[in-house]
Amino acid sequence: MFCLGIESTAHTFACSVVRYSFSQKGLVGKILSDTREVYVPPSGTGIHPRNASRHHCRAVENVFKHSLSSAKVSMSEIDIIAYSAGPGLGPCLRVGAVVARTLSAYHNKPLVPTNHGIGHVELGIMISGAKDPLVLLVSGGHTAILAFSGQRWRIFGETLDITLGQLFDQFGRSLGLPSPCGHKIEQLGKRAAGNYRFLPYVVKGNDVSFSGLLTSAIRSVNNKNEELSLGEISFSLQETSFAMVTEAVERALSLTSKTEFLVVGGVAANNRLTEMLEKACKRQKCKFYRCPAALAGDNGAQIAWAGILEYVGRGKHVQVEKASVNQSWRINEVDVIRN
Amino acid sequence: MPFSYAILLLHHQSRKLLIKGAEADIFLTDWFGRRAIAKVRTIKPYRHKSLDLEIRRRRTIHEAQMLSAAKSIGIICPHVYFVDPISCEIIMEFILAKNAKEIINPEISSQIGTYAGLLHSKNVIHGDLTTSNFLVEDKLYLLDFGLAFHSDRLEDKAVDIRLIKETFSSIHYPQFEALFSSFLQGYSTIQGNKMVKKLLAKVSSIERRVRYALN
Repeated sequence: MFCLGIESTAHTFACSVVRYSFSQKGLVGKILSDTREVYVPPSGTGIHPRNASRHHCRAVENVFKHSLSSAKVSMSEIDIIAYSAGPGLGPCLRVGAVVARTLSAYHNKPLVPTNHGIGHVELGIMISGAKDPLVLLVSGGHTAILAFSGQRWRIFGETLDITLGQLFDQFGRSLGLPSPCGHKIEQLGKRAAGNYRFLPYVVKGNDVSFSGLLTSAIRSVNNKNEELSLGEISFSLQETSFAMVTEAVERALSLTSKTEFLVVGGVAANNRLTEMLEKACKRQKCKFYRCPAALAGDNGAQIAWAGILEYVGRGKHVQVEKASVNQSWRINEVDVIRN
Repeated sequence: MPFSYAILLLHHQSRKLLIKGAEADIFLTDWFGRRAIAKVRTIKPYRHKSLDLEIRRRRTIHEAQMLSAAKSIGIICPHVYFVDPISCEIIMEFILAKNAKEIINPEISSQIGTYAGLLHSKNVIHGDLTTSNFLVEDKLYLLDFGLAFHSDRLEDKAVDIRLIKETFSSIHYPQFEALFSSFLQGYSTIQGNKMVKKLLAKVSSIERRVRYALN
C-alpha cells in the first residue's frame, strides 16, 4: 500500500511516496521517492511568503510527476494522500492543500491533513528505530523538547521566542548571507580557531530564549571598537546557543528519565550540535539517535508517514471540502495513537 | 595547600554518589560528623571550556547567595555549610524526604504556590520552579537556586509561573487543572488576587510569544 505525502509549509515544496505494510513489529514503512524543490530568497532577505508560494506553484508539476515516476508507482495505486496542514506560512500551505484536494477529488482517494512537526518526529522514529525517546525538534520553525505521554506529544521545554534556525538565519541575513545560513555560519566559525567570547546565555528552567543572544551577536558585528572577527562571533554564537539547547535537553532527560534521545529537524544536520547532544546523552546514560541529514530538513516522506499513522492508526481522514490549513497548529494540540 | 582544600580532600574520601543530575552530581558526605550533601557542578564536556567554567562558577555562587536570601524570607531550604567556587561545589544540609514530583497533590501544590508568592514578594525569582525541585517531609523544602536571581519585573515572575504551569501540563497532565488552581490559590494568599490576575495576563502574553500559539 502506498501513501503520497505533499509538503509545502515554508521554503520547500516536496512530494514523496511511502510504501507501508504490516509485520509482527507493527506498521512498517519504506520511502520510495523523495523529490523536493527549494525556494531560495535573495541574499540578505528571508522567505517572502507570497514569492515562496509562487515558486511552489511552478514546482508542483515537476515535483509531483518525478516523485511518482522515481517510485515507479502510478496515481491509481496510491491509497492515501497526505498533506501538511500546518504549522507554516499561509500562502505556502495553501498551495499544498490545493494540490492535495485536487488529487483527492479527481482520483477519489482519502485525504489526510497532517501536522508538519509530528511528521519530523515520527519519521525520525521510523528511521532510527527508537521506541520511546525524548525528542528534540530543531528547525527554522521549531525548537522544542517533546516526549510522548497520554496520547500526545507533550512539550517539556521550548524556545520562548525565536527558533534556533531563525537565530542563525537572522544573524546570517544581517551579514547579507543567503538563507538558510546555518551551514555558512558553521564555516565562518571555523576561522575562529576556538576563540570564544561571552554572549548572553539564557536558560529558563527547561526553556530557552534566543532573542537577546541574536541582538547581542548583531551588535558585536557592528561594534567597530571591538577587535572581534566575524569568525569569532559566529563561533561563539553557535557554541552559546547549542550549549543552551543541550542543557535544556539534559534537564528534560533527567526530569523524564527517558533512556532514548532523538534529534530531528533541519538543524539536526549540524555536526557540532549533534556532537554536543551525544555527549550530554552519554552523561545521562541515554541512547542517542539522530535523523540522517538527508531527511532532517523538510521533506514529503515525513508528511506521508505521519499521514499513514493517522489514517491506518485511527482511520482519520477528511472530506475534500473540509480539508483546510492551520498556520498556528501546535504539536501538543494533536491527539495521536501510536503502536 | 589552602585550609579549605585540606578539608575538602578529607571529605572527598567518604563520598557516595546519590544522584547524577542534569546540572550537578549529588554526593552523600560527612561534614564534621553530620550527614551532608555535596552538590558538585561537574564539567560539562559538551560546553566550550571558558563558557562552562563561567556558568558553573556563577551558578554555584548564586545558589549559595540565593539560598540565604530565600531563608531570610521564610522559605525552608537546606542550610549551606560550605561553598567552594573554584571546584564549583556546595556542601549543604542532608534532608531525608520525598520528591514532590512523585507525590504531588493539590495540597502540596498550594504550598508550592505560597512559596512562590513569598519569593516573588521579595523580588526573588527562582528560575527553575518545577515540582522536582521541592522535597516533602513534614515540611516543604525548596531546592536548586542555581538559576535564581533578583528582579522586580512582572515578566520574570510570570516566567516562573509559566514554568510550573508547563510542568503541571506535561509531567502531571492528568491533574493539571486541580494542581494549577491550587498553586494560584496558594500564591494569592501572599500576593493577593489582584496580583495573580496581573501575573496570569502576563503569563498568557508570554505564551502567545511561543511558536504557533493562537492569539
